[in-house]
Amino acid sequence: MREITFAEALGEAILEEMEKDPAIFTYGEDIAKQGGIFGAYKSLLGKFPDRIFDTPISEEVIYGSALGAALVGMKPIVEFHFADFLFTGIQSITLQIEKIRYMTGGQGKLHLLLRGPDGISNSAAAQHSECIETIFMHVPGIKVIIPSTPYDVKGLIKKALQEDDPVICFEHKMLYRIKGPVPEEDYTIPFGIAEVKREGNDVTVVTISRMVHESLKAAEELKNDGISAEIIDLRTLVPWDKKTVIESVKKTNHLVVAHETWKRAGWGAEITSVVQEEAFDYLDAPIIRVGAKNVPMPFAANLQDFVTPNYKDVIEAVKQILR
Amino acid sequence: MYEIKMPKFGLTMESGFIEKWFKKEGDKVKEGEPLLEVSSEKITNEVASPVSGILLKIIAQEQEEIKVGTVIALIGKEGEKFQEYQVEEEPERSVVESEREEICSIKVISPDRERRIKASPLARKIAQENNLDLSRIKGTGPDGRIEKCDILNFLSFVSKEEEFKIEKLSGLRRTIMERLSKSFHDAITLTNIIEVDFTEFKKIIKEQKVSITSGLIFILARVLKELNKFNAHFDSEKKEYILFKNINIGIAVDTDKGLMVPVIREADKLKLETINKQLKELVDKARISAISEVDIKDSTFTITNLGMMRTDFFTPILNPPEVAILGVGRILKKPCIVEEDKITIREMAYLSLSYDHRVIDGADAARFLDKIAQYIEKPELE
Repeated sequence: MREITFAEALGEAILEEMEKDPAIFTYGEDIAKQGGIFGAYKSLLGKFPDRIFDTPISEEVIYGSALGAALVGMKPIVEFHFADFLFTGIQSITLQIEKIRYMTGGQGKLHLLLRGPDGISNSAAAQHSECIETIFMHVPGIKVIIPSTPYDVKGLIKKALQEDDPVICFEHKMLYRIKGPVPEEDYTIPFGIAEVKREGNDVTVVTISRMVHESLKAAEELKNDGISAEIIDLRTLVPWDKKTVIESVKKTNHLVVAHETWKRAGWGAEITSVVQEEAFDYLDAPIIRVGAKNVPMPFAANLQDFVTPNYKDVIEAVKQILR
Repeated sequence: MYEIKMPKFGLTMESGFIEKWFKKEGDKVKEGEPLLEVSSEKITNEVASPVSGILLKIIAQEQEEIKVGTVIALIGKEGEKFQEYQVEEEPERSVVESEREEICSIKVISPDRERRIKASPLARKIAQENNLDLSRIKGTGPDGRIEKCDILNFLSFVSKEEEFKIEKLSGLRRTIMERLSKSFHDAITLTNIIEVDFTEFKKIIKEQKVSITSGLIFILARVLKELNKFNAHFDSEKKEYILFKNINIGIAVDTDKGLMVPVIREADKLKLETINKQLKELVDKARISAISEVDIKDSTFTITNLGMMRTDFFTPILNPPEVAILGVGRILKKPCIVEEDKITIREMAYLSLSYDHRVIDGADAARFLDKIAQYIEKPELE
């Protein structure tokens, strides 16, 4: 199968859906002329000039206008530039976009996709490095998707564009350039279906996004110690695939949840909590969470490394849980 | 609350071995109803409940050796709770028992002193499914937490245990073990064997409708009267050789629980018919474990008959502190050369006499066997 980058797969998904559906259009900061700050829209440069355009730096207006467009039947795809900036226009999202279908008794649909980069890059500091997916998992009313591979981003974005509910998609900055197999034919990936990236018997590691790759690397090293780790990529947080996780925990009896976002009240706590509620009798040790230290992201590269979890933290957690 | 204490069956009894509890904790018990089975060195007895009520707590478990007078259980009125009672001290156990207890049994502790056992949820679940008591399992996880692997290790050990069965020695078996060890290590035992013609003896036995053993006891009693040095005990520590006037013959009886040796007292004064009757009663009692302590003590000489089980001859071991024992083999028809070198068919059997050579010489043993042989071959069982 051909291999393309994560950014190319994302571009293909948007383009293919735009070709099928004239209601789809996309806008945001630095996408039409620049192709996105991390090259997400490079493959869209010059395509559909009236349906792919740049906006001024005003998140409140960007998200608010997307809500208005969606309310009248358009299907906007909004690029949020940096996940951190979602806070700038958060009221349009949490108070309006996430509530409107509910408050109108489901009378209207809301085809609205918020997407953009999150996570660390090369010293982007405290305001440009955050992973804030937990916020959107916490406030009801939006579906949350977090692909880790070119194949997944294409399938999940295409599915998101067919959804009647608003969807938010987080794309890790460090994944845009990774390559992976993507079939040329049309496909979508349903939400709420996790992928077991690697089967194992001793411990289950539940993760998403960049940490999927770190966890796979950890599993490879753990193999040398005779430890068989099962790596589960949730792919979507709302909804999340409880069944796959619990089945795996029933098999391995040990759970580690790994994410780049802060450990304190990160979404790993939710997974952990549900597992202990529903699979308590299958746990042979306390569940361990891997997450960032509870501080804003430092600028210094060595401190960024210190704060951010990687494969070594996963190895440590697995060894701790198995002693 | 009524305390059940380890009873004392006899003057010399210091401790009792709990063979079996007939009741569980929480069961109703009636006064006079069997509560447990206790064996002493000499005897196994059922212990009846002295009161009616609820068996609140079993303090001393089965297979434990408990000192006489120690509280072994509590019986209360209906509705009464064990928690209201504090066990002041652990029941005293002999040294061997307490070591064994650490390995395989659960300590008796009152509920308020019970410590929470750390175990993973999974470990608890597997333990529950397998009816395991977590207090029996050692945790290897952080802070001694019991984990799945600990339970599985324990279970695999238990299932290995199922491949063979470890039986703790019952009171009777322990007595046998102790006595025979003593006999083997102490006495210098030799065995003389003689072949005897039982043809005439068997005719009379048949006529009188008595057993072979009874007939032999009858003869033995007379021989012991004549050769008194065999009707004796030897105390090697005190270097005392005790010769008895009364001839009390012990008879080795095979029972489900093991060897028992009931005694026919003053056998020399009894008619054959009486011996036969007494012997039958004693054997029956021994086989249903209904024998009393009086029935098994004071023997001065022992006879053991394996003839009915096809053994021809053997080397019996002394029943200490006795100085000799007579073993009887199978009676078998054989071609025999009698007077004038004629071959005829006779009923023959071997008698084996084991004796303590420290006090009895080989020639004495030979004379003893010869005497018995003479009686058997020309019997006068009147």
